[in-house]
Amino acid sequence: MNLTDKEYVERCRDGHPEDFSLLVDRYQKPLFSYLAGRTQGGRDAEEAVQESFVRAFLSLKKLRKPESFYSWLLGIAGRIAKEQFRALAHRQRDQEAAETMMADANDSVEDYPLEEAIAVLPETYRRVILLRYYEGLSCQELATRLDMPLGTVTKTLSRAYTLLRQELKTREGVAENIQTNHT
Amino acid sequence: MNCAECRDHLVACAEGLLDREEFLQCQTHLESCADCREEYQSITRLQQRLVASGQAAAEVSVIAPVMQRILHEREKPERATIMSRLLKHRWGFGLSAAAGVAAAIILFAILAPANVQAKAVEILAKGAQAAAKLTSIHLRGQLRTAPGDNFGYINADAPFYTIEVWKQFDPDLKWRIEKPQRVIVMDGKSTVMLIKSGNVGVKLPQRTTSAFDTDWLQRIANLSNALTNELKNALAKGWKLGVTEETGPDGKLKSVVTIMATSGLPDNDYGKNAFMENADTRRVYHFDAASGLLEAAQVYVVRPSGEVQIFDLSEIDYNQPIAADTWALELPADVSWAKLPESLPKLPDNEKYSSITAEQAARAFFEACGREDWDEAGKFMSPVNEQTKQYLGGVQIVSLGDAFTSKSYGGKFVPYEIKLRPQEFTVRVSNENPAHRYVVTGICDTNLNVQQDLKWTNPPAILPDNDTYAKMSPAEAAKACLDAWKRLDWDEMRKFDPGYDVEDEKAKAATAEKNGTDPHGRIPLMEVGEASWSAEQSAWFVKCRAYQTKKWNLAVRQDNPVKRWQVDGGI
Repeated sequence: MNLTDKEYVERCRDGHPEDFSLLVDRYQKPLFSYLAGRTQGGRDAEEAVQESFVRAFLSLKKLRKPESFYSWLLGIAGRIAKEQFRALAHRQRDQEAAETMMADANDSVEDYPLEEAIAVLPETYRRVILLRYYEGLSCQELATRLDMPLGTVTKTLSRAYTLLRQELKTREGVAENIQTNHT
Repeated sequence: MNCAECRDHLVACAEGLLDREEFLQCQTHLESCADCREEYQSITRLQQRLVASGQAAAEVSVIAPVMQRILHEREKPERATIMSRLLKHRWGFGLSAAAGVAAAIILFAILAPANVQAKAVEILAKGAQAAAKLTSIHLRGQLRTAPGDNFGYINADAPFYTIEVWKQFDPDLKWRIEKPQRVIVMDGKSTVMLIKSGNVGVKLPQRTTSAFDTDWLQRIANLSNALTNELKNALAKGWKLGVTEETGPDGKLKSVVTIMATSGLPDNDYGKNAFMENADTRRVYHFDAASGLLEAAQVYVVRPSGEVQIFDLSEIDYNQPIAADTWALELPADVSWAKLPESLPKLPDNEKYSSITAEQAARAFFEACGREDWDEAGKFMSPVNEQTKQYLGGVQIVSLGDAFTSKSYGGKFVPYEIKLRPQEFTVRVSNENPAHRYVVTGICDTNLNVQQDLKWTNPPAILPDNDTYAKMSPAEAAKACLDAWKRLDWDEMRKFDPGYDVEDEKAKAATAEKNGTDPHGRIPLMEVGEASWSAEQSAWFVKCRAYQTKKWNLAVRQDNPVKRWQVDGGI
């Protein structure tokens, strides 16, 4: 059983909650990388990953576009990261320090749009990127896993790179504009 | 190569997927074209970001805690349903409450399949969570295997041998895995394997998390991940899950999860069911229901002819201190060290060995052994030690077949039949009997010392065609006897050999056949020579030679940096 995000979401809603583990398996690593840059990292990031999945599961009925599960999950994760910082500030009773820390964390992670850019890739390309870089599969292993010739894997990977670079260029261009306008 | 062609190849180039010629063409173009070079650098920068992002998350595994939380959340209303259904059927909990009277088994199979699966997922997730922060683990069990063969090797027809795993996670990673003739120790700095049966050592100069075909055992030792992966695979591959609950001998409630796992290999694949990773198995996990900790496990190989238990994990110690000497490995003084495939030297005439076929490599290896040219044999195998020389010296090739592959193995298998170095012996014959024909009275060495005395309790009978046999010379009689043995022609053999010896051989042949091996194969090829009279012993002695033959598949692989075929097993 190797289904699309949409099919897994529908199965979870349709009385197979255990299938949610396959979505967790698919996205836990990129989600961790995403959150590592938006939290204190390590244990905090892992807790935020867990919390994101649990909340996503509990709100699964509200997801209008099941095929956009990962983008939606990143949205939830972003909110959880903010909550963590607010909680930290509350604990430290020093809102200013926490905000500085949050700003520093966001500044220090130049790669943070990467996971967002991956999230908007069409699913075929996203799967290839995730399996290659987050699951560590070689191209030959990818060909076996996805049951496609090695040449097709290379082509899919090439196309995924093109789309990813376009998306990053757009996002980084927007980010640069915002920064320029603010200074 | 022009710009368009080059750009089509850039990702493949960055991924190292181009062949040498394409790679050189691509590099040549990049050196001369600034635009394509910029494009290539942009791709490699993105590749580096992806690699770094993936590596940062390499150790993350939250499936078990997430699934435990969400199933717990979801189960609140579900539990009432399960309880009421069980009570309605007057099964289960009532009996279970009377624990100690008898073990009560509650079959969750009465629930809808989705609920069985959800329950199995919950138990596995709880088990994974319970084993999440171990400082050490010690596993002890029994495996049907060969005592000196690979750790992954299983054989449903073999006896059980003890297998043990010690793994320390904290303060630093160390592990030891041992079966009777093979042991590996990773002491935190390096990894050393000793194959006692071959007196061979293999050393990896670094700390490892797994090595030398121990993956399946390492996975069990990393219990939390193992259970998470079982859960993941079961769901992803649609493996059938079952759940029962029972009261254990200690009076405590146990949860038992059964998983029917398939290897995905076709039934006719050579590697199928020969290694743990390639077997279709039924796995049974026994958890303590309260703590969620795994207490025992069994693995059964599922074959068309039925199930055979191959692994019994009966003892699991969690977080117990492991004695310091566990990480020490005593090596024999004369141990031979094997070269690692990645450190094989490139030979001056390397091309001669890398460009040949698997069959040619097998032939060259056996021929070198036959000539006792150990330098040459050593180009195909490491190490070639005294035991190898003793065994393969003087070997002759009877036949070599076409190489074949298995989906589970990166090399090739070459079918072979070889004749090992001949063993010389003599057959003692005598015609001092009422039938006056030569019969066998003993098997002796070349100095005529008796190795096996074959006394006739009843004298040889006079046969209807006794004259034919009475005319045979001592050498002809010995040959006729050995030929009849080779043909498994027991009636004919009985004319030359005492009945009890024939019955003994007949029983051995039947056992071989029952075990699925060729009963002819266990009998060596024999040559019969001249006979000579010993006045001292009043008997004829016929010189004979036995060639033990072996028919099997030589495993050879070429996936090393110098692309030389290396003998990897099957000897």
